[in-house]
Amino acid sequence: MPAIVKLEDVTKIYTKGENEILTLDHISLEIEEGDFVALMGPSGSGKTTLLNLLGGLDTPTSGRVTVCGQDLSDLTSRELARWRADHVGFVFQSFNLLPVLTALQNVELPLTLQALDAGERRAHAVAALRVVGLEDRMDHRPGELSGGQEQRVAIARALVTDPRLVMADEPTGDLDAHSAHEVLGLVEQLNEELGKTIIIVTHDPHAAQFARRELHLEKGVLSRERTR
Amino acid sequence: MRLILLNLLRSPLRTGLTVFGTAVALTLFCLLEALINAFNVGVDMSSASRLVVMHKESLTLLLPESHLPVIRHMDGIRRAASGVWFGGLYEEPLPGGQKREEFFAQFAVDLDNYLAVYPEILIPHEQMEALRADRRGCVIGDELARRLSKKVGDRIALRGLIWAKPDGSPWEFNVRAIYTCTQTFDRTMMFFHYRYLDETRQFAKGMVGWYVAELTDPNRCAEVAARIDERFANSPFETKTMNEKAFNMQFLSMMGNLELLFRFIGTVVILTMLLISANTMMMAGRERTREMAVLKALGFSDGYVFYVLIGEALAVAVLGAILGAGGTWLGINVLEWNPKRDFFPIFRVPDVSLLAALLIALATGILSGLVPAVAGLRLKAAEALRAV
Repeated sequence: MPAIVKLEDVTKIYTKGENEILTLDHISLEIEEGDFVALMGPSGSGKTTLLNLLGGLDTPTSGRVTVCGQDLSDLTSRELARWRADHVGFVFQSFNLLPVLTALQNVELPLTLQALDAGERRAHAVAALRVVGLEDRMDHRPGELSGGQEQRVAIARALVTDPRLVMADEPTGDLDAHSAHEVLGLVEQLNEELGKTIIIVTHDPHAAQFARRELHLEKGVLSRERTR
Repeated sequence: MRLILLNLLRSPLRTGLTVFGTAVALTLFCLLEALINAFNVGVDMSSASRLVVMHKESLTLLLPESHLPVIRHMDGIRRAASGVWFGGLYEEPLPGGQKREEFFAQFAVDLDNYLAVYPEILIPHEQMEALRADRRGCVIGDELARRLSKKVGDRIALRGLIWAKPDGSPWEFNVRAIYTCTQTFDRTMMFFHYRYLDETRQFAKGMVGWYVAELTDPNRCAEVAARIDERFANSPFETKTMNEKAFNMQFLSMMGNLELLFRFIGTVVILTMLLISANTMMMAGRERTREMAVLKALGFSDGYVFYVLIGEALAVAVLGAILGAGGTWLGINVLEWNPKRDFFPIFRVPDVSLLAALLIALATGILSGLVPAVAGLRLKAAEALRAV
C-alpha cells in the first residue's frame, strides 16, 4: 500500500512569551493508505499537535508534512482549508456539533463547500447518518441526543464528504464504556468496510486495541511502535 | 445565511433586546430629525427672490402702513405687500359643554398683493373672486381645512389673543377659499383681509408687522435690502431688511440653537447604541470560539467565519433599522402622526434622514461585528480547539 501520510524530520516548537516549548522533535513517519493507527502517549507528549499537523490545522516549525500526495507547506491558509474540506474528516473529543443545527444539518455542513445542490447534499447526509445508524434521529438537535449519538453524528459529518483520511482526537474521551465501544466499532467499520485511513489519538488502551498499529509518543519523540 | 439566522435565534431574548435597543435608538434619531425638519421647513421653503422688511429692533414691533408704497416703488422691487400676525385661538363648542381649541398661523394681509408675492399658494379663480368680495372672507390651507373639517362657505370664529374686538366677541370669518400648494409649503395657514383687522381693532391702527417684497432680480438682494434700510434710516420706524431665508432663520433662532441640541442628543443615542451592540456581538463572538474553530477544521475559510460574524451583527442592525426607522416612517410619513399639529404644520421624517438611519444601522452593524469577526478571522483552529 502507498503511504498516504509522510512526515519527514518534523519539528514543532511553540513560543509562549519568552519560552520555547519543543512539542515534536524531529519526527519521521509514514502511514499507509487504509491503515488504522492509534497515537498514544501521556498528556503533553505531542499527540494532538501531530494530529493537527497531519490535518493541516497547524504547520511545522521545520520538516515536511505530505498527506494524500500534497506537501502541506506549499499551501496557503485558504488552500489548506479547501484541502481539508476535500481530504480529511475530523472527529473531536467533545463532538463539537453546532447546537443550532439539527443532526442532518450538522452532517450537511461540510457539503456546502462542495459543488452539490440542496437535494444532493441532503441525500449524502442522510446516507452518512444511515451508516452510523442515526437516520431516525436526523431532525434532532445535538441537545436532544445522547453523547454516543452525538459522536456518531460527528462521525457521519466526518465521512460525508468521502475523505480518504479520518482523524479522531480522543473520540471516546467523553463517552461511557458502552457508547465508547459502539463508536470504536463504528470507526473500525469505516476502516474495514469503507477503506478509510483512520488515525486516532487516545489515552485509552482499550480504544487502541481497535487499531492495527500503535504509535507511542513521549516528550515529542516516537518512542515505540506496535503492529497487530 | 441559514447559520446566521439560526445563531440569532440561539438566544432569542438577547437578540430581541439588542434589536429592540437599536430600534429605539433609531426611532429617537428619526423623531429628532423630523423635529429638526419641522423647525427648518420654513427656511427650506424660503424663496431667494423675496425680501422681508421688519422693524430694526424686533419682529414684535410694528411698522406704519405708509412704508409700503415707498417700498413698492423702489428700484428692484416688482411688488410688495404687508402682513400682521393675528394670533387667534380657534374655539369650537363640543357636546357636554366642552370646547375644542386649536392654534394655527393666521395672518392679516393685503390679500391681492400678498398672495401675488407667494405664487406657491394656489387658489381657484372663482374662490379668489369670492374672497376679494367678502370683507370677512378668509383663505385657509387644505390641510387646515381637513383638520378643522371646514369647506368653502363655512365660518370660523377666533378668539383674539393679541387683537380684541371692542365688544370682546370672537372674530368671525367666512371661508371663501381653500388653497393648495405647488411645492412643500405650509398648508395649515389662514390669510384674511388686513382691512377687517385694522378697521375693527382698538389700537395700533395703520400699523403692520412686516413687509414682504418680490425682487425683479434675486442677485440684487443685498443691494436692494441695503437701500430700503437706508431709505428709512433716522426715521421713527427704522427697518431691517433681509432675504426670506435669513428672516426665517432669525425667527428660528428666537428658540435657541435647537438643531445643535437635537443633533447632540442624536449623537449620544447613536454612540450608546453602538456600544451596546458591540458589547453584545463581542459576547456572542467569544461564546462561539470553539464553533468557529470547528468550522475552520471542517474546511471553511477564514473569510467565511468573518462573514458569519459580521453577518450576525448586520442582521441585528438591519432588523433594528426596519423596526425603528421603518416604524417611524410608517407612523409619521404614512399614517401622519404628529405630536403637535398646530405647532408643526409639516412634520415628516426627510428621506435623507431615513437613508442616514439605515446607513447608521449598517455602520453600527459593521463596527460592532468587526471585533469578533476579526478575532474569528485570526483564530487558529488548532489553538482554539486545544484551549477549550
